[in-house]
Amino acid sequence: MRVLARALAAALTLGAAVQTTARAADVKFGALFPFSGQLALLGEESARGVEIAVDEINAAGGVQGQKVVLARGDAVDNNQAIGEARRLISLEKVVAIFGSYSSARSIAASQVAELSGIPYFELGAVAEEVTGRGLQYLYRTNPTAEDMAKLAVEMIVKKVAAGLGKKPEDLKIGIIYEDSSYGTSVAGFQKKFAAQAKLNVVTAQGYPASTVDMSSLVLDLKGRGIDVLLQTSYQNDSVLFLQQANEAGFKPGAIIGGGGGYSMQPTADAVGHKVIEGVLDTDFTQYLVNTQYTPGIENFVAAYQKKYGSAPRSGHSLNNYVGAKLILQAIGNAKGFDPDTIVKVAQGIDVKDGVTAVGYGFKFGKNNQNERAAMMGMQWQGGKLVTVYPDSAAVAPMEMRK
Amino acid sequence: MDVFLQVLANGVMLGGLFAIVSVGLTLIFGIVKVVNFAHGEFLMVGMYLTYLAVTGLGLHPFAALILVVPVLFLLGALTQRFLIQPLLAAGDHHIQIFATVGLSTVLINLALLLFGADIANTPPSGLRQPLEIGPVRVLLGQVVILGAAIVLVAGLQTFLARTRTGRAIRAVAQNRAAAELMGIDVNRIYALTFGIGAACVGVAAVLIAPLYPTSPNSGTYFVLIAFVVVVLGGLGSIRGAFVGAILIGLIDSVTGFYVGADMREVAVFGVFLAILILKPSGLFGRQLRLSHVSP
Repeated sequence: MRVLARALAAALTLGAAVQTTARAADVKFGALFPFSGQLALLGEESARGVEIAVDEINAAGGVQGQKVVLARGDAVDNNQAIGEARRLISLEKVVAIFGSYSSARSIAASQVAELSGIPYFELGAVAEEVTGRGLQYLYRTNPTAEDMAKLAVEMIVKKVAAGLGKKPEDLKIGIIYEDSSYGTSVAGFQKKFAAQAKLNVVTAQGYPASTVDMSSLVLDLKGRGIDVLLQTSYQNDSVLFLQQANEAGFKPGAIIGGGGGYSMQPTADAVGHKVIEGVLDTDFTQYLVNTQYTPGIENFVAAYQKKYGSAPRSGHSLNNYVGAKLILQAIGNAKGFDPDTIVKVAQGIDVKDGVTAVGYGFKFGKNNQNERAAMMGMQWQGGKLVTVYPDSAAVAPMEMRK
Repeated sequence: MDVFLQVLANGVMLGGLFAIVSVGLTLIFGIVKVVNFAHGEFLMVGMYLTYLAVTGLGLHPFAALILVVPVLFLLGALTQRFLIQPLLAAGDHHIQIFATVGLSTVLINLALLLFGADIANTPPSGLRQPLEIGPVRVLLGQVVILGAAIVLVAGLQTFLARTRTGRAIRAVAQNRAAAELMGIDVNRIYALTFGIGAACVGVAAVLIAPLYPTSPNSGTYFVLIAFVVVVLGGLGSIRGAFVGAILIGLIDSVTGFYVGADMREVAVFGVFLAILILKPSGLFGRQLRLSHVSP
């Protein structure tokens, strides 16, 4: 055990020595994401957005005349998120941390930052619990689980019902969700907003995300004559549900997925483009969107293509890019990197809707949550995920099967 | 009534799926007395191999059997020879269990490195074709899985009961020291059994891959319930695993429909616990005499 501890200590010192390459005139920010393990794919995708933001800021002269350097921290699990946050703060001496894609990692790591008085900017985690814990130095730029649910209900009321030729309150709504904290929290908000909009929620059922069979659930939904089905899920269960629904002949008027699996091209390829045709999705801003509403998105995609040799794999990089860039720009207008200075300029950010590459605006409100953050509604059309809601961001009309 | 029949059919099909995944696991436990926690990852490896064979070589999934089953046999035999066997001398069974847990983690992360976290889709090659049997609708691929599970169970039973090698395998399972004294090469038998167990999960992988997306975590989805099935049927009982699997499939399906999706696991694990309390050795299990295992 002692040998192990010594080896670890040696490895840590070595790692610190290698990574301390920043020049004296550089200013260092932490990038804390899951870079390995199960969440690595989208963790890395999120971090790429931050990297592009830093490249652009540096190309334009840096922040307060100093070059921005990113120190990566690998938040492979909650414990390591804490450990890496400590390392970034005490060894790397970062002035602020960007993170973290995963809500659980964010909740863990931001506590550490708070205790050290280092600002923590969350750019991509959606759980409600990330904000609202009374943390002074935690700010979140991205939309949340509540925004996702709000949008789904709004879409039903304003578009889907008319598309199906019914009044919203006459629709039979079904809600299914994977039963971890993610699905449960989104579904909870869906129920709340549906009740406020006087929608008729016929059933709400959770299931474990690791399930290998949803046929009984599908039969149940089919038997209830569901018109609009909401699912909050990861990738495997999205694929499983859409396949089994199709095979059992369950064809509700509309299926509205929530993020995760529903936004990813491999999901559409797995399910089949014919089967997923017309399926709706609520998520972060994606790429087939009205560029008038998301100015700068084309430049981002081009920069991404140039740096990483492929098109962005999901909207995560885009949302992280815009969040990080705005924060860095704001800090650029301040004097010094004192935590309270950084927090103060962040408070002052005031960006309207429709002027950034993600579309939504920025203004930190209650609990330091960006109160202008919003999700968008997408639809699978011809094997592509196109934005259909809101109208200002849409590139195609929402198509309903009747 | 039609809906009830459909629910039952879904349950039986799900049971077939659980059965085919569990057969190899129970065989390895019954003979080698090792709980192989890497079983799910063997399945995952097999699914990726099937994916590569179908998309890369353009084979029909069934033709991929020729490739996947021998590779999995080898993987199993090598695991026993180079990972488990050296640990037998340690005398403590827990060490072997930890070794298989380690192997499982290694395999998952290797897959993450090689294939990434995204899902890989094996073309269904007609196996997603629905079959209408009376009022009931099932997929061709599901029926194939159920059939293959029955054939595997019957085949393994016959092999163990009738052939010389099969008898040697049973002899080793019953009393390792005595078998060794009778001139049976125990290590060879262990490697062979582990290989056969892994080959069984190879068959499962080939049949499952066209129906389910493959990802580094695919194994974990199937294997938890496989452990339940194996313990329920009686650790080491192949017939028991099959009956247990069908039972679990039916409970899952019936509760899922009549009670609610969120109650499925409660029902499955509730029945599981109840059976264990009433019959601790499982449905078809005998009292295990582990004292004979270690030399």
